[in-house]
Amino acid sequence: MYIHQHICISPQQTNGVVDLEIINSSQDGKLLAIEPQLQGVPPSMLRRMSKAVRMGMGAGLPLINEKNIDGIIIGTANGGMEDCIRFLNQIIDYDEGLLTPANFVQSTPNAIAGQLSLITKNRTYNATHVHNGLAFENALTDARMSLLEKPGTQYLVGGVDEISSYNYNIDYLAGWYDKTKSNDDLYSTHTPGTIAGEGAAMFIINDIADNAFGKIEAIDAFQSTDKEQVEARFKNFLDSYIPDTNHTLLISGENGDSRFLPAYATCEFAIGSSIPVARFKHLTGEYPTSSSFALWLACHAFHEQGLPAHFYKNEHNLTQIDRAILYNQYQGKQHSFILVSR
Amino acid sequence: MSRIVVTGIGIITAIGTTADENRDSLVHAKTGIGKARFFNSRYTAHLPFGEINQATEQLAERLGIENNTATRTDLLALHAAKQAITDANLSKEDLSGSDTALIGGSTVGGMCLTDEMYADANATGISNSPYLTSYSNSANTSFLQLYFNIGGLINTFNTACSSSANAIMYGARLLKNGVAKRVIAGGVDSLSKYTVNGFNALMILSGEPCKPFDRERKGLNLGEGAAFLILEREEDASGKKIYAEVKGYGNSNDAFHPSSTSAEGEGPYLSMKRALDIAGLSPAAIDFINAHGTATENNDETESAAMLRLFDQAPAFASTKSYTGHTLGAAGAVEAVYSILSLQHQEVYSSLHFKDAIDSTGLKPVTQYEKRDLNHVMSNSFGFGGNCTSLIFSKM
Repeated sequence: MYIHQHICISPQQTNGVVDLEIINSSQDGKLLAIEPQLQGVPPSMLRRMSKAVRMGMGAGLPLINEKNIDGIIIGTANGGMEDCIRFLNQIIDYDEGLLTPANFVQSTPNAIAGQLSLITKNRTYNATHVHNGLAFENALTDARMSLLEKPGTQYLVGGVDEISSYNYNIDYLAGWYDKTKSNDDLYSTHTPGTIAGEGAAMFIINDIADNAFGKIEAIDAFQSTDKEQVEARFKNFLDSYIPDTNHTLLISGENGDSRFLPAYATCEFAIGSSIPVARFKHLTGEYPTSSSFALWLACHAFHEQGLPAHFYKNEHNLTQIDRAILYNQYQGKQHSFILVSR
Repeated sequence: MSRIVVTGIGIITAIGTTADENRDSLVHAKTGIGKARFFNSRYTAHLPFGEINQATEQLAERLGIENNTATRTDLLALHAAKQAITDANLSKEDLSGSDTALIGGSTVGGMCLTDEMYADANATGISNSPYLTSYSNSANTSFLQLYFNIGGLINTFNTACSSSANAIMYGARLLKNGVAKRVIAGGVDSLSKYTVNGFNALMILSGEPCKPFDRERKGLNLGEGAAFLILEREEDASGKKIYAEVKGYGNSNDAFHPSSTSAEGEGPYLSMKRALDIAGLSPAAIDFINAHGTATENNDETESAAMLRLFDQAPAFASTKSYTGHTLGAAGAVEAVYSILSLQHQEVYSSLHFKDAIDSTGLKPVTQYEKRDLNHVMSNSFGFGGNCTSLIFSKM
């Protein structure tokens, strides 16, 4: 399957005029996405939208308006969590009194795909995958199957997640975040915890090779807490799909949390030191569907035939990029490998 | 193209903890809707619920689960998935293979712990909460993955009330496309303050047992439940007991309103039509519809309108939500099991509390249990956000 148009909303300059040389800094351990300017959304609707929905509209609406879309397939772990916690707070604070339903209706994770469909009057296939760190990978698998079932169709596929007071606080208490860390030196502090992030990256995906930004060759997504299993599956992935590793880039989801370095290191070692490693979470922070940003970054790297120096983990002499392998894992439990080629 | 078959079923609802118990209640028109005993909410005083007749601690004990982080949602899912896995004789090796997929669907997920989540989301300083990883709407799928050591693709759908219908649809497609060899697909939801208050705020909860498709219907009753199916390709299931074929599935978005369906039932019409197209069946081939039939003002009228548009003559239909209540994300899988039981035993179950047809449609559901020749049964599930899904199960 081939990637055509794409839009990426993130904490950095990725939407509209792309500039990855300048890096916006994190504040208090968070990287907030730059708000999109929404076109064609009624103000009454806009007022009710959570940031996840606004980011989803900002990335998705321009793409749908350009194309005939045969399905809207979204991966989001949390959807509109901010609305969820607002409603939850109402329930407790008003002791289950008569509440207003707006936050409740907006809080369902399928609000993003639902609103995209509603605004564009698109009544095609509509799916919301919410399996945490594998939500976006499942959305891609869904699109791949859809293309096999109906050649000649095309899909809007995206990954969206927001930082909400809810998930930030609960994940913070669970030890996933460290408020003292920043994206200036994310990879040099060898301690647990990382910075929180958010974003939305969406793609038009079809089976037409002409003028495509990239081709998704293979996906492997699984759950495991065993480093050996991750290594075995990665080696198997390389053996199955990557005959030669010339002009190849490894895009790594390394996030500065010392607990997960071994898993990333294992994969870097397995592929060999001649393959340059590019990291991206100093731009995005950590969130469950961040692999959608990594896929956007791969397309950007193909287009530019390079990336700014700050992405690279080590010195490299890569002058041509034909292939990118994305390895991302979430909270040590969920792992995915995605192979994209030019 | 190989046929996708159901080789195992598991279910727990307000009308039974096994498929047999559920069927017995359906055959004898015994509803599970009544006063909730275990669910803690102000609304239990004056609203009826489809509650499962077991305390959470009791569920945990019966399943031998000792960790205190498992939510009621996790336990209900485990109860149903365990049954289905046993029913289909899946071995440990089957489960851990990379060709076994697990697809869940849930609306409320771990948010059944409304009070605990409130405390943790607003906590400052150190929390010793055991539930920090339990709240997500995929937590129950991960819980099952860990318990059974499932080695293949793992996914969770949340398309509100069509979540587990989409999980079954996705599961069938994984098999057809060779992404998996075995699929455990279904869904779960438990009663929660979150959903009760949400639906109450929308003013669509009925103070009396619900009356699907009745002119005087007053809204829905919330229920809880879990159901899972084991799906395999026909050629891989030789020698196994086969319940039914998953013949068709269709999905559409109604694109009208976040929490109601368009008057002409555009989304329901399209999801039913697409399911027929995949099945290669004409509308006349459908012998029975297990309707979404929530008993809200909006759903029953628009679902009826869609049926009248698609079918020259509407097939026999009923809503089993008059037995279980609306089990939200679990409804698609629960009603898939009921559709399969109907096919297996060649019988249809009555819709309860129906008196008079809706004026604009004149459609009357089946109101008596009866034996009936059935080849193809359709099951509808429509959710907030405009998500509509229809499944078709067929006799082998």
